[in-house]
Amino acid sequence: MEPIGHEGLGRLLDLGENLSTPHIVFSHNDLTEATDLESGGSIKIGKSFDLPPKPLGLDSDKEPYLHLSENIAVLDNTSSLRPQKIVEIASKFREEAGYSRLVYAPAVEPSDMPILAYLGVDVFDDLNVELRSSTGWLLEDGSWIKSSSKVDIFSANREELNRWVSKIRNSISNGTLREFVERTSLHNPRVSQILHHSTQLLVEKGAKNHYLIRANNLSLKHPSVIDFQERLSRFTPPVDNMVLLVLPCSARKPYFKSSSHKRFFNTIREVDNYLSLHIISVTSPLGLVPRELEFCYPAAHYDIAVTGVWSPTEVEMLRTQLSRIEPEKHYCKAIVHAGSSSEIMTTLLKERGLETIDTKVERPSSFEGLEVLQNVARMSLNGSEPVNSKQRAQGEAIGLANFQYPNSDFLTTSEISGRMPYKLRCGDLAAISPVVGGFGLTLSGGKAYSSNGGGVVKAENFKLVGDLFAVGVNGHKGDWQIGDQVVIEQKDEITAVGIAKMNPEEMVSMKRGIAVEVRHHA
Amino acid sequence: MPEAFVPLTDFVNEAKSIPKEHSLDQPVAKWTEEELLDGEIVEAGVAILRTRGCYWSIKEGCSMCGYFNDTVPGGVSDEMLREQWKKIRPSLKGKRYAKIYTSGSFIDPTEVPLDFADEVMSDMKDMGIEKVLIESLPEFVNPKNFNYTNAPKLEIAIGLESSSSLVLDKCVNKRLRWPHFVKVCKSARDNGAEVKAYILLKPPYLNEKDAIEDAVQSAIDAAPHVDKISINPVNVQKNTVVEKLWMRNEWTAPWLWSVVEVLERCKDLPVRVYSDPTGGGTRRGAHNCYNCNKKILEGLKKHRLGKGDLADLICDCKSRWEVMKRQSSLRRNGSEPHGYRNGFTSGRRF
Ligand SMILES: [Zn+2]
Repeated sequence: MEPIGHEGLGRLLDLGENLSTPHIVFSHNDLTEATDLESGGSIKIGKSFDLPPKPLGLDSDKEPYLHLSENIAVLDNTSSLRPQKIVEIASKFREEAGYSRLVYAPAVEPSDMPILAYLGVDVFDDLNVELRSSTGWLLEDGSWIKSSSKVDIFSANREELNRWVSKIRNSISNGTLREFVERTSLHNPRVSQILHHSTQLLVEKGAKNHYLIRANNLSLKHPSVIDFQERLSRFTPPVDNMVLLVLPCSARKPYFKSSSHKRFFNTIREVDNYLSLHIISVTSPLGLVPRELEFCYPAAHYDIAVTGVWSPTEVEMLRTQLSRIEPEKHYCKAIVHAGSSSEIMTTLLKERGLETIDTKVERPSSFEGLEVLQNVARMSLNGSEPVNSKQRAQGEAIGLANFQYPNSDFLTTSEISGRMPYKLRCGDLAAISPVVGGFGLTLSGGKAYSSNGGGVVKAENFKLVGDLFAVGVNGHKGDWQIGDQVVIEQKDEITAVGIAKMNPEEMVSMKRGIAVEVRHHA
Repeated sequence: MPEAFVPLTDFVNEAKSIPKEHSLDQPVAKWTEEELLDGEIVEAGVAILRTRGCYWSIKEGCSMCGYFNDTVPGGVSDEMLREQWKKIRPSLKGKRYAKIYTSGSFIDPTEVPLDFADEVMSDMKDMGIEKVLIESLPEFVNPKNFNYTNAPKLEIAIGLESSSSLVLDKCVNKRLRWPHFVKVCKSARDNGAEVKAYILLKPPYLNEKDAIEDAVQSAIDAAPHVDKISINPVNVQKNTVVEKLWMRNEWTAPWLWSVVEVLERCKDLPVRVYSDPTGGGTRRGAHNCYNCNKKILEGLKKHRLGKGDLADLICDCKSRWEVMKRQSSLRRNGSEPHGYRNGFTSGRRF
């Protein structure tokens, strides 16, 4: 089996013979009954595999949750487990089953399949669909409708189920499984609850792919959004006692590339000591995005309909984000120039006790708006402590590095040079990379990272050219999530840095597929 | 590749709870019901004595049995047992057949003292009762425990549950071995008693198909050793493993069609095989769809009293049962989606 793609905890595996996961088995052809009460019979996925014994006498509330045969791990009772329990069990799938077994969830409803695939289930069956068919219900896009036509319901439902599962596979390969799950959750309380409870698990263990987030109300719980928001508490503004400038977000990402933000920048740079102004953009669902973090996923990868109206949940989210930045401790005052978001931001900043000026401009990037901004900026910066560009660059690097790396001293104690956005560097260790989404490590940076707790992939001793494949991996040190930077070590030498395409244990157990997309070789 | 023996001990004990307080001078219940006595339909008097309860349920218990809920953990004094008997006797007057249950074993002398049992038997004999049914775990079926001075004909009902040791160990949690059952049946019959065997239909964990096969096989195995067989579809009793599994929807009570199939397949056995499903027609007991529950239960009653056969019972839900039965051997437990028996027409999503 070869991992082709990941989303959340779900995996698109190429199983050979034109088969891939998430896979559907049809009971009549692919499941064989056991010859005695206790055995589990077998399942055909290309080849025939033994199923583990039935869970006779076991309490499904207790570990181990999965029942294992050599190739298959069965999650019995999936369709009746409580949503919270499912998530708890999903967090242990790989611990119990490893990566080389396929996780099979028998007798689940089609509407549960997308979320279960998102949590790591590889194989489903048609048992419940067959029962629906026998009672005259037709499967349509994951829901049941009463059939009036004279079609052969059994075969129509099997075909539709096949399509449904192939949609799940396509979603993983396109990075839209989350969207698919959100859609199925809209009118399905059970899926919605499972999704709700899975947020933290996905933040901690899910793949961090840089897919575009087409945001809606549910995106406030998107794991990448939550992750970004939580990390904000590690961010610090470049220099203390600066003036905070709150700007609206823009449709174009990163914001600094948009025409409105270019105009803002051109306006403020005419003001003396403009390096003392620090820009944070206000947006949903991310909340607050400091300029230094505009490359960090998903700040440059989301779309949302801007309505100018902040829901109570969003206001609460902004309040939380401000509490993570603690502006009253770091800034001497704030200017809010955020159009329809100005009123709420002014209120929230004042709530924290920071002196705040609202420019009260309706169209912030209009000629008149910019003029007001310039005047207010000039007034606010008058007499403030001057900041030089070296200080500023140093502070920007620290803010970004802290956000990205838990122990970032190894980067920020080096010679900082350049400026945001593109030229900022930490000595010869790291430079801004839009692909990485922040500081991308160089080979020397990789060496430093590996001795500072960074994830290390141990590979066989061969001349590494191009990407590292799973077959060449024989161990790992430290932990990471898919999408994180990792260092490759061969024969005790760091030979490359790149981006992890598999989970730590997965790289070791898989024999095929790209383990690390290499960015720099020795 | 059978895995290591896993007793249900923990699960059974965690499912139990301490019984409510009960008044000691009152029997658990008493009623009358139609029964067959020597081919004749008679009105039988039935009573359940409140006792300390089954010794096994105090230690561990069986996965489906909630009778401990009706017991008194501290035990019931002889005096109170006699008080209960005073309240039971009037309902036995004029009856030819009596069924005296406890929530345990009538012939366990530590549960029902021998002196008291002897008095009660003699009292019934004097009242003209011809036959009395009592229940017991096999371990107490020893002539010294029912060697009464003056008693009606004794019929001892023994919960065999299943003749498969796998089912007993992993589904029921009853420490019974087939050879022991055969031995005690012989001992009872050699000492003048009749034996009635209880066989479970669909113990927890079994799917519909395996459950039917197990019940039929158990009846075939038991028939030469007993005088009649009652098929007991498992029902959901309070504070049991079955109740936990049922609430989690990991097990569903059997179909009445399955009961019918078992009885049909046992009709040529040399002993009477019948069923009177406890809680029949409800979600906690054997049931079909809401259109036919009543009809099937009436059919079973007629069959039990020898007044009719089961072949002509019909309903639309029978085809659903057939799909389920066929499919169930591919299912890994005894569960079924909510609403299936009614064709998912009750509007409930699952
Ligand atoms: Zn029916």
